[in-house]
Amino acid sequence: MIQTIRLDHVLREAVTTPYRNLVTRPTGAAVRVRIERAMAESACMTAILDFSEVELLDLSCADEIVAKLLLLSIPRAERYVILGGLSEDQIEAIDHVLSHQRLAVAAMFAGTSALDLLGAADTDAREAFGCVGTCGPLDAAGVADALDWTLERSAAALVTLAAHRLVRVAGLTFCPLLVA
Amino acid sequence: MTRIVEIPTSFDDRAMDQFAAACGAWPPEHRLLFDARPAQWASPYAFVAMLTAAQAVAEAGGERPILYVPTSDDVRRYWARAGFLRHASELFELHGKVPRAASGTTDTLLEVTPVRGSDDVHQVVGVIQEGASRILGELGLEAKATMGFAMALSEACQNIVEHAGTGGWVAVQAYDWRRRIGTRVVVIAVSDSGIGFRRSLEPTQAKRFGDRWSDATALEAAWIQNVSRFRDPGRGQGLAGIKRYLSRWNGKITIRSGTARLANVPPWDREDVPMTEHLPYFPGAQVQVIVPASAPR
Repeated sequence: MIQTIRLDHVLREAVTTPYRNLVTRPTGAAVRVRIERAMAESACMTAILDFSEVELLDLSCADEIVAKLLLLSIPRAERYVILGGLSEDQIEAIDHVLSHQRLAVAAMFAGTSALDLLGAADTDAREAFGCVGTCGPLDAAGVADALDWTLERSAAALVTLAAHRLVRVAGLTFCPLLVA
Repeated sequence: MTRIVEIPTSFDDRAMDQFAAACGAWPPEHRLLFDARPAQWASPYAFVAMLTAAQAVAEAGGERPILYVPTSDDVRRYWARAGFLRHASELFELHGKVPRAASGTTDTLLEVTPVRGSDDVHQVVGVIQEGASRILGELGLEAKATMGFAMALSEACQNIVEHAGTGGWVAVQAYDWRRRIGTRVVVIAVSDSGIGFRRSLEPTQAKRFGDRWSDATALEAAWIQNVSRFRDPGRGQGLAGIKRYLSRWNGKITIRSGTARLANVPPWDREDVPMTEHLPYFPGAQVQVIVPASAPR
């Protein structure tokens, strides 16, 4: 089950005025608290944060919402987070703050349902992420076969993805995050 | 006793040091009288700087400064349209004929606006977002640049809310700089009368710099190393974001705080220098961002 959280709705609840811009740290913190609450009230393992109706996202707000959510809340809640409906400017802002803090998140860009990675993921992690997304659940040997890598290289990339909660781990198998 | 501060006839960021020197020591020992009667022109930077001076006097418990408004009808009407005189009336004792504020001029993208909290930043960004199509149409600024412009504006205003310890002011204006650099520009001016970069960063950074700690090293630490007074590792990214935006769109920023002024110098402005020290002291911090509408010659 997937939970979709519309950021424009959360923003309206958080600031009680008809802003369409996610700017300032206090706003970001208020939005993040509501996201955490919505996730806690849901039985879904994965939440899609839908940015499609948000106009502007500044760096401070991106840090308060996305970076702090990944840093503080998601590891505790054992949930998976995907960002959706991102515009080019929002991608840049989020990528910047996540890279700065060595964090990464799976994201769908506006108009697509394909998953990509934002933030501090190295080339191997990105390739392994793409491989699992295309082929479906794989173990380290499966990824090594598909990418013509050594087992050690494949295992290291998958461990990185698992540490960032970018794949679901079931025993020795690494599964792609579900978006629908 | 009254100290007379002659407002430069053409007052922009280049005349700021002359203005700061005229204000004298802070807090002022005597009542300040700002004489703007001969004024011919003032930029948004000048407006927010004058309001900052008056605010700093008020916060230091000084007597309300006097402001003689410009003699020229056109000039004082422009000062009213830019929103300056409305806010000045709360901080200065105004002398001279004060026109009623009319609607904004075509070049005023954001009239002089107070920034005291997060809601003000939302308001400011909202106004600029609404005017985004106007910015595009009038200036030929690329569509992709306007979103980044709003982001830079937001981060610049948030520096006041997060670090100054008091309120400040912002204004945004478009100019024809075809003669100077061959294109039009949009200018953001932000100023506050707060604690400034040096005092803001002192608790976490001064020890590292030892005897070298100063307004200049504080500005360098914030701009080059992206340090913040907060220990949260996510902090300090606002200026980094502005820097990235300016490098992409060939923009310029100057930050003046205390007795130092830092500038990133784009190729179209070879007259400026990256760092100037030992300037006349002025309270708080003053930031100016200039974004050319198209590639300057």
